[in-house]
Parts: sequence; structure tokens; C-alpha cells
Amino acid sequence: MPVATRSAPAVQTVDVTKVYRVGHTGYPALRGINIKIERGEFVAIMGPSGSGKSTLLNLVGALDRPTSGRVIIDGVDLKKMDEDKLSLLRNRKLGFVYQSFNLIQRLTSVENVEMPLISRGIPERIRKARSLKMLSAVGLHGKSNKRPAELSGGEQQRVAIARALVTEPALIIADEPTGNLDSKTTSEVVDQFTQVNKGFGTTILIVTHNSEIATRTQRVISLKDGLVEKEEYIKRLDSYSTP
Amino acid sequence: MFKLAYKALIDRKIRSVLTILGITVGSAIILALIASSAGLNAGIAANIQKAGANILTIRNSGGFFSSGSTNTYQLSQQDVTYLKSLPNVVAVYPYYSYGASINNGGESIQGTVVGIDMVALPQLYQGLTVAEGSIPLLGDTTAAIIGYLIANPVSGNTIGLHQMVSMSVSGIKASNGASKGAVSYAVLTSGILAQYGTALFANIDDTVYISFQAASILSKSPYFTGIYVIVDNTNDVASVQSTITTYYSNNVRVISPGQILSSLQSITASLTVFLGSIGAVSLFVATVGIVNTMYVSVMERTREIGVLKAIGYRPKQIMGMFLAEAALTGVIGAFTGLALGYALSFLMGGMLAGSTFTGRFGGGGGGATIVPVFSTELIVFSLTFPVLLATVAGLYPAWRASRMNPVVALKYE
Repeated sequence: MPVATRSAPAVQTVDVTKVYRVGHTGYPALRGINIKIERGEFVAIMGPSGSGKSTLLNLVGALDRPTSGRVIIDGVDLKKMDEDKLSLLRNRKLGFVYQSFNLIQRLTSVENVEMPLISRGIPERIRKARSLKMLSAVGLHGKSNKRPAELSGGEQQRVAIARALVTEPALIIADEPTGNLDSKTTSEVVDQFTQVNKGFGTTILIVTHNSEIATRTQRVISLKDGLVEKEEYIKRLDSYSTP
Repeated sequence: MFKLAYKALIDRKIRSVLTILGITVGSAIILALIASSAGLNAGIAANIQKAGANILTIRNSGGFFSSGSTNTYQLSQQDVTYLKSLPNVVAVYPYYSYGASINNGGESIQGTVVGIDMVALPQLYQGLTVAEGSIPLLGDTTAAIIGYLIANPVSGNTIGLHQMVSMSVSGIKASNGASKGAVSYAVLTSGILAQYGTALFANIDDTVYISFQAASILSKSPYFTGIYVIVDNTNDVASVQSTITTYYSNNVRVISPGQILSSLQSITASLTVFLGSIGAVSLFVATVGIVNTMYVSVMERTREIGVLKAIGYRPKQIMGMFLAEAALTGVIGAFTGLALGYALSFLMGGMLAGSTFTGRFGGGGGGATIVPVFSTELIVFSLTFPVLLATVAGLYPAWRASRMNPVVALKYE
């Protein structure tokens, strides 16, 4: 895998377009996106339905390929990577958190968290230790042997966050992570992301419709009709910097 | 990988059990059928080898080994003289053999009475011993040695030494060839044979052996039922057999143990292939079941596959996971099939032993049974073939899983 330079941004897209073909018709979901997210930033992506948020997330998450343009993650251009290399990149540099948690129901919390480590061939003893440590970091120390059905929505999402963190990724991508949660739990989960961002220095990219969540990030990128409509830094009274 | 596979199987217990059951049954049937056939084969070989591989039996044309000839040639003393003159022949024993209904305290035991020079018995039947008493003296026309089941019937009284045994003998023909009907006959037991079983058409345990002279008087006929020819060694059996066959043309039947063994083993080999094919069909059906189960499982777990891809599982790893599940199904099915097949083979052995054909030739009859034979090759085959089939069955569903588009899979409801 190509080595990233120290000063490279966590995420960079260069004139990225994505056109979905349905029969002979092409639907342009993204029409030339240029964004740069620095390491350690906590960024929200907002926009109405159909603006291209999920498409951008899929491209940044190396789950899909752009029709044109370049996607660079942690200094690594994804353009010429094959399927296996993209999988490796997702395992080592990215973490995903989803609206519907996407935990494997038959596995316990600790088993869900260790899944990315199994892919790397890490021995069981080390996997278990790291997974338990990550569960403790998200406040689920006593829930390691519980299955998702035995956890609340907020707890399940924290397990998902622990799973995303266990590989020490450069970037966490969260797609509407609080969409299925009540307001109190939403706040707890966003607190978790904030702690991760501050504590581990992990770059976080969060797609949300919730403007309150957006105000708790450092920067908001707004999309409309497949283009970046605006970018604004959030002015806060705490230590987050402004441009 | 196999730990994850195990968890996936127990997540859908009933479905997994039913799929594994298919493999179990198919595998068990194949194992039981092949082991029973092998046991039958071994029983036949042991049975025939009891009689000695260097012994030829000369019979009138007819009976089980009938060539279809309708001639009425009858074996007599002149044939004994001829056979004794042949090179490589060390002994010739003519004998009479009739059906007998032995009376025992109001009960009847169906058996055979054979009149033969009794010094022949240890030469004809390897390992045959007298458990009690002794072989009658040469020329004693009143004494007999009786088989184990005659002396120790399942129901009726035990017969001991120096006891009168009366019987009705059937099959004796008059000089004009007509049957005489049942003839009453009585002997005094001078010896009781140890339990032996069957050997080359003869169930030793339900036979009463009288002297050749006594049988000659009983039958009032100079014509024998058959003649045993003992050849000096097994290498000369074929040439002696050929000489006798040429001399007599189709007038007599010359039977060698090797010939019978070869014929019967050919039959059992065909039987094994046929029965094994039935088991193979069953296993094939089970394999189709695995394909179906795995395919459904992959479809149900589409979103899970999307998540796995998102967290960095490579296509080969995803394929490996599902193949591991298929293989594990095969492994469990193979071991349970081995256990079930083991039990089933003894049941089948008992059923085969009870049949007329196998009872006569396969060492059955007289309470004996066919012991299934589990060769190392059969065990290895029974353990590996189902695993191989199950893994092959899982190939396509596993490949489908590995090729899924993660974006599409993550959206799957």
C-alpha cells in the first residue's frame, strides 16, 4: 500500500463526478466535487435528499468508484487500486458507522468489535484485548457478552463506533448515525464522536440532516444537486478553531 | 473462520439440522451398504476357504449349479477309481447326502444326514473339531457324530453322547429312480462336533454324519450324491478340474472353491456398486439441499456481507467464510453419518445373514450373522467425501457472496 505523507489531508476529492446509468439514461449524482478534510477535523455533510451525500460517502469510503476525478484518502489515490487493495484500505484506514448500526445479530458486542481484526489475521488473545479496551472507551465495559438484541439503540451504536475505532483508522465515516435514536441518545452518541475526535485525533466525516449535530462539528459542507453549495466553519465558544 | 461458521450454523438451528441430516443419511447409507457388502464378501470368502481351496466337489448335473443338462449320469465306485488314478489327487471321498428331520422329544429339527468316511471331515473342513466323544471306528454302521445345533437345539432337549437319535430321512431313491418317501433311521451318538457354521453349501452344525457304509446300506444304492476330490496343492486344482471336466463333458458338475468364490464375489461386487449408487444418489440430493440452504443464507445475509466488505473483508475472505460454513456442514454430517452408518451396517448385516442366499454362502444361518467390514479406505472416504461434496455445493453461493457490490448490499432490506 502506498505510504501517505505526514501533511496530506485525511480526505481529498479532485473534480469527482459520479453518474449512475439506468438503461441508456445517466443520472449525475455528483457533478464535480472538490473537498479537502484535514487530519483531525470533525466535519458534517448536509444537504437535501438527492444532493449526493451518500454517493460522496460511498466514494470517500472506497466502497464505490467515481466516474471521473480522484479520491485521495490519507494521501493515497484510490484510482488505480484493485478490489483487494481497496478492502485493505477500508480495513486499515477507515471506520464506518451506520444509521441502522449494522451489527451482526448472532455475535456478542466484543465479537462484533473484533470482526475487522479477524480479517487482518490478528491472534485471538490480542483481538479480544483490543476489542474489550475499545468497548470500555465507549462506556460499554460490562456489555461485552451481550448480543445486539440485548442492547439499547444508543448502546448498539456505541458498539458500532467501537468496531469502527478498533482498527485505529485515520477516518471514521458516519452515515446518519443518530437517525434511529431519540434526542437524548443522539446527544450521547454525538458526545462519543466528539470524544473520539478529541481523544484519538481521529478525523470524522458525518452525514446528517440534523442541524443541531452539525453545529457540534467544526465544519459543515453543504451539497446541493451534486455540487458543493457552501462550506462554513462553526464558530464556537470552546477550543474548536475558526478559519 | 470455522468458529464464525459454527455460529452461523447455530443461528439457524433447524435449517442447519435439516441440511446436515441430508448429508448424514446419504453418508450413512453409503457406509452401511458398502460395509455390509464387504462383510458379506468376507463372509463368503471365509466360508468357502473353510472348505479348503484344494478341494473339488463332483456332483451330478443339477441343483444349484445346474448347467441345464438333463442327463441322468450317476456317480459310482468306478468314478472313484478313475478319480483316484488322476495325478495330483491325494484322496477321493464319495458321499451320500439326504435331508433329515431329527426327532427330539416331540420336536423336529431339520438337518442333513451325510454318509462319508469320517476321516475325510478334518481334511474337508478346516478347523473342524470334535467337542465331545470321538469319530466312530471304521466300519461302525450304527454310530454317528452330530453337529452342534443337533446336539444343542434352540428348542428341544440336549442330545448327549451314546444317545439314540431317530430321524426321518428323505430324498432316498429306489432303483427305478422313484422317491422312497421318508425313511425312518436311528443312530447312536459317538461324538458331538464343536460349533462350526457353514462351509461350501453345508451347514455343519445341523448335519448328522454317519459312516459311508451305513449310508450305503440306508440308501441301498451304489450311486453317490457326490464325490470330494482332494488335490495335493492349490496350484494343481485348475488342471485337475480341467481334466475331470474334459473327461465327463457335461455329465457331472465339477465345483472348485476358487471358482465359487470368484463367481460370488463378482455378484457381491455388482451388488455393492448398485447399492452404493443408491447411497450416492441420496448424498447428491443432500448436496443439492446444501446449495439451496447456502444460497438462501447468502441472500438473507446480503446486508451483513455489505458490512463485512465495508470493514475491510476481501472477496476471498468472504468466499472463505461461506465455504467454511458449507464445509462444516459436511464435517458434521460426515461424523454423524459415520456413527449412523456404523449402527445401520450391523442391522443390514443381520438382514443379509437372514436371507437364503447369503445365509447359505455368507456365513449366515445357524444363528451366525454377517459382520460388516470397515476398511481404512472406507472410513476415510466416509469422512472426506461428504465434506468435499458440501464444500463444492457451497462454491457458487460463496462466490455470489464475494462478488456482491457493497453499496447495493448495504442498502438491502
